[in-house]
Amino acid sequence: MISKDELEYLAQISKINLSEDEAKKFPEQLDKTIEYIDILEELASDDLNVLDLQEVKFDELRDDVVKMSEELRITKNMTEDGFLRGPKMK
Amino acid sequence: MSSLHDLLAHEVVEGIKEGLFTAEEYVSSLIKTIEDVESKLNSFITLDTVGALSSAKLIDRKIKENEDIGYLGGVAVGIKDNISTKDIRTTCASKILEDYVPSYDATVIRNLKQNGAIILGKLNLDEFGMGSTTEYSRYYPTHNPWNLDYVPGGSSGGCGAAVAAGECTVSLGSDTGGSIRCPASFCSVVGLKPTYGRVSRYGLISYANSLEQIGPICRSVKDIALIMNIISGKDNSDNTSMSSSPITINNKLDKFDIAIVKELINDGDHGVTGTIYSTSDKFKEIGCTCDEISIKNLHYALPSYYTLASAEASSNLARYDNIRYGFDLPIEEYKWDTYFSNVRKNFGEEVKRRILIGSYVLSSGYYSKYYLKARSLRSLLKLELLKLFKKYDLLIGPTMPILPFKFGEKIDDPIKMYLVDINTVIANLAGIPAISLPIGFSNGLPIGLQMMAAPFEEQKLIDVSHALENTINIQRRPNLT
Repeated sequence: MISKDELEYLAQISKINLSEDEAKKFPEQLDKTIEYIDILEELASDDLNVLDLQEVKFDELRDDVVKMSEELRITKNMTEDGFLRGPKMK
Repeated sequence: MSSLHDLLAHEVVEGIKEGLFTAEEYVSSLIKTIEDVESKLNSFITLDTVGALSSAKLIDRKIKENEDIGYLGGVAVGIKDNISTKDIRTTCASKILEDYVPSYDATVIRNLKQNGAIILGKLNLDEFGMGSTTEYSRYYPTHNPWNLDYVPGGSSGGCGAAVAAGECTVSLGSDTGGSIRCPASFCSVVGLKPTYGRVSRYGLISYANSLEQIGPICRSVKDIALIMNIISGKDNSDNTSMSSSPITINNKLDKFDIAIVKELINDGDHGVTGTIYSTSDKFKEIGCTCDEISIKNLHYALPSYYTLASAEASSNLARYDNIRYGFDLPIEEYKWDTYFSNVRKNFGEEVKRRILIGSYVLSSGYYSKYYLKARSLRSLLKLELLKLFKKYDLLIGPTMPILPFKFGEKIDDPIKMYLVDINTVIANLAGIPAISLPIGFSNGLPIGLQMMAAPFEEQKLIDVSHALENTINIQRRPNLT
């Protein structure tokens, strides 16, 4: 069972505040999901040496070229001297 | 002639070109249908009737001046609300993006517009595409036009319902684990998930980018081919996109070798299973062979899918930080982490659950236990399927092993809800194309046949679907009066 502390940790690294109701019902729901994906443990270790077909081939990527948007649309007035304003880091 | 809102896309283009009706008359007919049925269905999140009528008038002017109106001249399209549309609000059915108006069109939208299509509005979905019923939309659920007490499927539920009900002629959805095929099956319309890379994902708001593809939902196979030829192709803005041959409609069918996948049909609803087997007899009638086979690794497909999709979701949705768009929440009183967490509490419960599971499977100690195993399984499954495609042209089974169900039936149990996707996630994991074709009804509720082919073999799916569509005559329009 996912403990209260584990759920708090997951919420913290995911940067999501949970409501009281969510904090109450999520442990059981997440447990069921984790129990379900535990089926993957049955996979034999020999099976896991298969070639990873999703591997990215970096020489196939296009060059990273910076292009300006035709129109920069910020929905809130949070710009200052052409920069976006964000909350303080610390 | 049928009512204008009943016409198929290719009939609309021909009718406008031949002067049988104007684009304005046709779009007005769709708007009238929307006025009549939308309060029952809730297919749309945002309508752009003013823009659609103005685009229709432009098409009519071009006709008068003998100008080319394009391959889709005048066809009204509904767009899933996770595909970016310039100047039309794009919410992903999330409160986080409730005021977001993109400054650019997704590549598929640009292609549609360049070919004369008219954007009628944005269609409902489960928040960020995470769900199979539209019950996770943060606005309202969409209702199934065949029975309003039942879910339309998801996540592209608005796309399926709107096309089935004649609110738009075709729609574009996205499919991460079955999100085009599930509503196509539940709403008795045709839906195609293309090969990964056939259609550009530029402008599709990402949930799980290694799995998802944009694809069409239509009322005929011919329209699916028409739309696919407009939206497919290499796009420099999406490095995973590739060029492909155009799809044609052939009236003569090659002899195809087809296999029913036992695991897709086992434990299914009796009505669904019976209809699939009677359809397999029709395959023989149209000159194909039909065997039954087993896929060894299917047992692991759904847990792998939810591991990978949640991991990618937790990464993709990290961008919602409320700095560039979002709520009106002043930054002065907060530090970075608290501001970020406070804003993101506005995600719906299902999105939060998937982000948390994604963080879990990617965290130290669990990465190799879940994420790496899921990736390996994905490769194993793809290799097994490619081997099968050397022997068989198509692998088939029910799109959904169950019939549409009532609202609220599965909402409190995430695993019950995830199991709805058990037959569809295979195509996303393997990156192969898959189509859902309506083949009948049980207790008045629609049943879809899923057919899967090797990568970039959409032509085979279209050939067999077109032949079957002509053989199976099923009711096309729900009665919503």
